[in-house]
Amino acid sequence: MTDELELLKKDWQKKTADLPTLSYEEIHKMIWKKSSSIVKWILIISILEFTLPQLLIFAPPMEEAMQIYDHIGVSNYLFALSLLIYAVALYFIFQFYQRFKEISVLDNSKNLMKKILRTRKTVKHYVLFSLSMIMVTIIIMIIGVYLKQDITEIVPELKDKLQDISPDKLKITLMLTIGIMGILLTLVMGCVYFLLYGLLLRKLNKNYAELRQLEF
Amino acid sequence: MTELQDNQNIVHKVCTLYTNDRDSHNDLFQEITIQLWKAYPKFRGEAKFSTWMYRVALNTAITLYRKSKKRIDTQDYEAVIFKIKADEYDETEEQQLKLMYKAVRQLGDVDKALVFLYLEDKNYTEISETLGITEVNARVKMNRIKTKLRTILNP
Repeated sequence: MTDELELLKKDWQKKTADLPTLSYEEIHKMIWKKSSSIVKWILIISILEFTLPQLLIFAPPMEEAMQIYDHIGVSNYLFALSLLIYAVALYFIFQFYQRFKEISVLDNSKNLMKKILRTRKTVKHYVLFSLSMIMVTIIIMIIGVYLKQDITEIVPELKDKLQDISPDKLKITLMLTIGIMGILLTLVMGCVYFLLYGLLLRKLNKNYAELRQLEF
Repeated sequence: MTELQDNQNIVHKVCTLYTNDRDSHNDLFQEITIQLWKAYPKFRGEAKFSTWMYRVALNTAITLYRKSKKRIDTQDYEAVIFKIKADEYDETEEQQLKLMYKAVRQLGDVDKALVFLYLEDKNYTEISETLGITEVNARVKMNRIKTKLRTILNP
């Protein structure tokens, strides 16, 4: 095999002459084109992941939700929680920025891959944190509903219609609805995220694993 | 820029190994050019320009480049790039080379990088520094690749 590879090497070096040659102008045109590198995609997707949950909070239907929180009597807890979420999000954004800055195409391949994966991992932790915060919100709401004496206060508009149903039954139905919605929302968001994450990094993970495997 | 133009064959060679058709070749070439251009301010002249170029080109091909191979069929493209001049080789050698190129193309990204540096006559120190593995491991890996190529060629 060594002989064959040597043969291939000779041939390979001879072939240099057959390679296309681009003019200065052609290359110059290229450098102004947009890069489609994985690092750029990671940056775009990560920024989206950092901002989307925040945008969600300010979306119009959320105002109604805030009223409902008020009616349940948990708005203070949720306010404290959102402060915590902002603080942690800022910490993650800072971490992400630090790691992103470290990525350099001049590094050796293994380090480059390691740094990209580490940057992405920061975002992964942020997403896991966000998802668990959704769950915490849901749990606070369920506890709020449970502790509430007069359940019909939560949605005053429906008070008349709800009078025929027994309060206990209403309470359980409401708690179950919130719980199931919450779990579904978290699951769907989680699935979408990890699918995207997996697809984006499949090749990178494979190559990194191959380089790392050599060390053992 | 001029240096880039002078050394563009390095980039073309990486592209031939990592892509299967002309479109993807140009696509990867463009991406590597962009990366080289972006990284150029950080080039301090400590290493040779070409050494630096090998690193950026390979990193782009195996790590940053996102698009996967569009098709496996390589016939038309190879006819252009791997034009084998019949008068220079005898039949068996030509056939053997063709099979070798085909086998190399079936290797994984990392394996291809090693073979590429080997074909470019780089020593194991340079190979290990480019990929970020130890020299011993680079040798081990190269031997494994040779075995792999042998299995592909003589199944």
